Order: sequence, then structure tokens, then C-alpha cells
Amino acid sequence: MISFRDVTVTYPTGTVGLDSVTLDIEPGEFVVVVGLSGAGKSTLVRSINGLVPVTSGELLVDDVHVDGAKPAQLRRLRSRIGMIFQSFNLVGRISVLQNVLVGRLHATPLLLSLFGFFRPADKEKAFEALERVGIVEKAYVRASQLSGGQQQRVAIARVLAQDPTVILADEPVASLDPPTAHMVMRDLERINDELGITTIVNLHFLDLARRYADRIIGMREGRVVFDGPPAEADDAVFEQIYGRSLTADDVLSEEEQAEEDALQAQAAAELDAEESRKATPA
Amino acid sequence: MTTATPSRTSTARPPRPRPRLGTYIGLAAVVAITVWAGIGIEFDLRPLWTDLGRGWFIIQEFLAPNWSYIGRTIGPFIETLSIAVIATLVGCAVGLGMSLLASRVTTANPVLYRAAKLFLSVVRSLPDVGYGLLFFALVGAGSLAGILALIMFNIGIIAKLTSETIDAVDRGPLEAADSTGASALQRARFAVVPMILPNYLSYCLYVFELNIRASVVIGIVGGGGIGSSISVEFARFNYSNVSAIVVLLIVVVFAIDLLSQSLRRRLT
Repeated sequence: MISFRDVTVTYPTGTVGLDSVTLDIEPGEFVVVVGLSGAGKSTLVRSINGLVPVTSGELLVDDVHVDGAKPAQLRRLRSRIGMIFQSFNLVGRISVLQNVLVGRLHATPLLLSLFGFFRPADKEKAFEALERVGIVEKAYVRASQLSGGQQQRVAIARVLAQDPTVILADEPVASLDPPTAHMVMRDLERINDELGITTIVNLHFLDLARRYADRIIGMREGRVVFDGPPAEADDAVFEQIYGRSLTADDVLSEEEQAEEDALQAQAAAELDAEESRKATPA
Repeated sequence: MTTATPSRTSTARPPRPRPRLGTYIGLAAVVAITVWAGIGIEFDLRPLWTDLGRGWFIIQEFLAPNWSYIGRTIGPFIETLSIAVIATLVGCAVGLGMSLLASRVTTANPVLYRAAKLFLSVVRSLPDVGYGLLFFALVGAGSLAGILALIMFNIGIIAKLTSETIDAVDRGPLEAADSTGASALQRARFAVVPMILPNYLSYCLYVFELNIRASVVIGIVGGGGIGSSISVEFARFNYSNVSAIVVLLIVVVFAIDLLSQSLRRRLT
């Protein structure tokens, strides 16, 4: 359970990221936070694991205070909260497995980890995490050699290796093409279903939000302006959250369209070069 | 569309900004300082030709290297290479540790960070020959003095270059490591070091190149190796022997530079 009690975040520049936010997130919920850039959705997510410090108010994760936590406490807290980023944030020069093992560092004795060793049980967890996102065959490949979608799956595996009770995802699909974006969202949805991990995702595409969320939180100027199930979040609600009328940029291109494209591409690939040349209209 | 003038209604073009006075003042100051410095040390090119004749017999000896002497320089040359290898290894290892302390990215504690920066400034303030003289006084003539001098020289260079590379590292993977609950040292080991490794190894090879050259100079002031041989032969006025050493030195340094550069190219 995550509880915000009158939480305000003010950045050193004076910008207000969160303006006395109060809300509860129950265990196992799949929450999507929507809002324009600068509305505070990133601040909301990053305050939960203390990457952004709370200026005032109380923020509890499983009854542990995030506000005012000492470095060691914060590390212990973070080990149970996984985070996924827009730019994946993998270390490109090390292997996929090593990247996933970063998620086990919190449980590995310092000296052992400094020499690059992990205990067999931790390696096992890393492999299981890679299997869960279906990318275990890439374990010994350098992370930089993977595509964007594959990298984001490795990032999800890194989070799973942590054995988290909460997963935070800050714009996880903003750098991905529509079919890959849906793939990553489905991974998150499945993990939420199967493992019951509380999942909080920032998105700015409202079709993705409606499709995957159990609950949508709309933010504007650091305040929560909508909080409810996707069924209640119609276009009028989004226009209120965004403070303007909706445009084509607010939705990811239709998934049906994307799947159709993929099928067509597959069909085209199956044709001979000659046949496809004949089929091309003059 | 019929005319060549731009169809867009354009605002007035901005006037050309006035040349900056500061640039001219700065340029004048540089010239003034140079002239003042030249006058101060009575800079004069005339000795180049008036005194040239005096050293002519020395130059003649230099132009006739004593090739038979080269055989006896192999030992000292190997000593010089050994000094450079050991100093590079130790200096680069310590330098990596210091560079982690001397970057805000890896050292959050401001006191520790400032202390590391200050220590490195002090280390860098003494040139390689300075360290050579210092350790010659401390441990006496020989390869140990040369090794210790080069180690200090290397720590200064490696830590400066590497800590600046760390400062510019992509913060994303660091944030990811933080978000897993990893400690600062673990983050350095798994996120920072892999990212800077190619640069760091390239600096290590560069420092090795420098060490070959520097160990010659340090040898002259008592650091062992081929530098000591040069110093001894100079003292005996055996300029043709010195000349043979210098020729071989150029070949060795050139070969090592080529090798090191080809390795460095492969790193990045």
C-alpha cells in the first residue's frame, strides 16, 4: 500500500512538482498516471522511491516512511520498488545478464559484488526474470546490441530480479513504436496479473491508459484532477485533464492497424522477390 | 511566385552586432605580456649562429653514433621498459580509485570529494622530474626511485582525465542502479566503470607512452634505466655513445607509440 498524505514537492528551481497530493494505492492495483508534460506525473512516480525527495507531507510505502528516510533505509526501500525508464537505462557495454543482476545487487554482499561475483541463487533469479519476459536467449549478448523493445524487456527483467512489491514505470513506451509499445504494456499487465505486483505507469497516450489501467489518475499542475476507473475517463475527462481539446497526438496509432501492418509485412516477406515485384502495381 | 523576393512578410534584418571590445583588449594584453616576457629574459636568437661553431666537434661526434655500444644498452633499455610497465600498472590502478573519489557523480560526500580534488591538484603541481629528484633523495638512485616518481606522475594524469570522463557519463544507468537499492560502490562497479572503461584503458595506454619518455628523463636525475646510461655517457663526454642511445630511443619510443595507438583505436 502506498499512501500520499498532503505531499508537496518543490524543486530547488522553485518549480512545484506536486501540490499537496493525497491518495492511496492498494496492493496489486494497475494504476496509470496521465497528464501533460510538466503536470507532475513523473514527480509523483519518482517520489515513491525517493529519487525525488518530498518537500513536505507524508509518503508511506508498506507503512515505511519515504520522506526523511536515511540513505540505508532508502536503499532497503528501493530494493522492494522496481523502476522502469523511458530510455531503458541499461549499461550498454555489459551483458544482458549482468544488467539484470544489477537488480540483485541489494542482496549481494559488497565485496562479492565488487569482484563481479553473484551467488547461484541470485543468478537463478536473474535467469527466471529473463525467462518471464521471454528474452533469456540473449543473456550473454551485450545490452547495446538489442532493439529498443528488447532493451525495455531487459529493464523489466532487472526490476523482476529485485523481487519487488511495487513497479514504477516512467513513460516506459514513449521511445518505442506502437506494436512494441503494446508488447511492453502487455508484459507489465501480465506481470501485474501473475505476480500481483502493484504497478504505477506514467503514460501520455490516452488509448493506452484506457486499455491497460485498472485505475487512472489524471494530473494537472501538480494536482490530482481525476481519479477513477478507465470507464469513467471519457474524452471530456481527458480534455479537462489536458486543459485543451484532444488531438491525434494524444493517441498511439490504433493497435489493430499496427497488427495489420505487421501481418502485411510478414506476408510480403513470405512472397518471392519475383512475385512481389509482379504484385507491385505499375 | 513571379518575383524572386521572399514571399514571406519578413521582419527587418538585425543589424550586425558591434565587434566586441573585450576581444581586442585581450589580444593586445597577450601581445604585451609576450613582449614584456621576452625583454625580461633578454631573449636573443644570435647565439644560435655566433656560438654554433664552438660545439661543432660535439655535433660531429653525435653524427657518428658508436653502433658497437648499442649491445651494452639492451639491459638498461629493458630496465626502462620494466620501470614504465610497473609504474603504469600501479599508477593507473590507484588513479582509477582516485578518479572515483574526485568526481561528484561517484562521490556524494562533499568533504571527501573536495579533499580528493585538492590532493590531486597537489600531486599534479610537481612535474615528473620533480618527483624523480624527490624520490632520488628519499630512496637513492635506482629503478625504485624511477618507479615511485612515475607512479605519482601517473596518478595525477589518470585521475584528472578519468574523473572528467566520469563527470560526463550518462546518468540514466546510474539512476537505474540507484532505483534497485544498490550502494554507491556497487553502482560505481556496475554502471560507472563499464561505461568509462574504453576511455580509461585508452588513458592508460597514453600514460604508458608518456612513461617511456618520462622514464628517460627521470633516469637522468637518478631513476635508473637508460636515462642513467645517458647521464653516465654524458659525464664521460662519450657523445658518440649518447648518440647511439638516442637513435635507439627514438626507434623504441616510436614503435611503442605505434603499438599503443593502434590498440587505442581498437578500444573506441
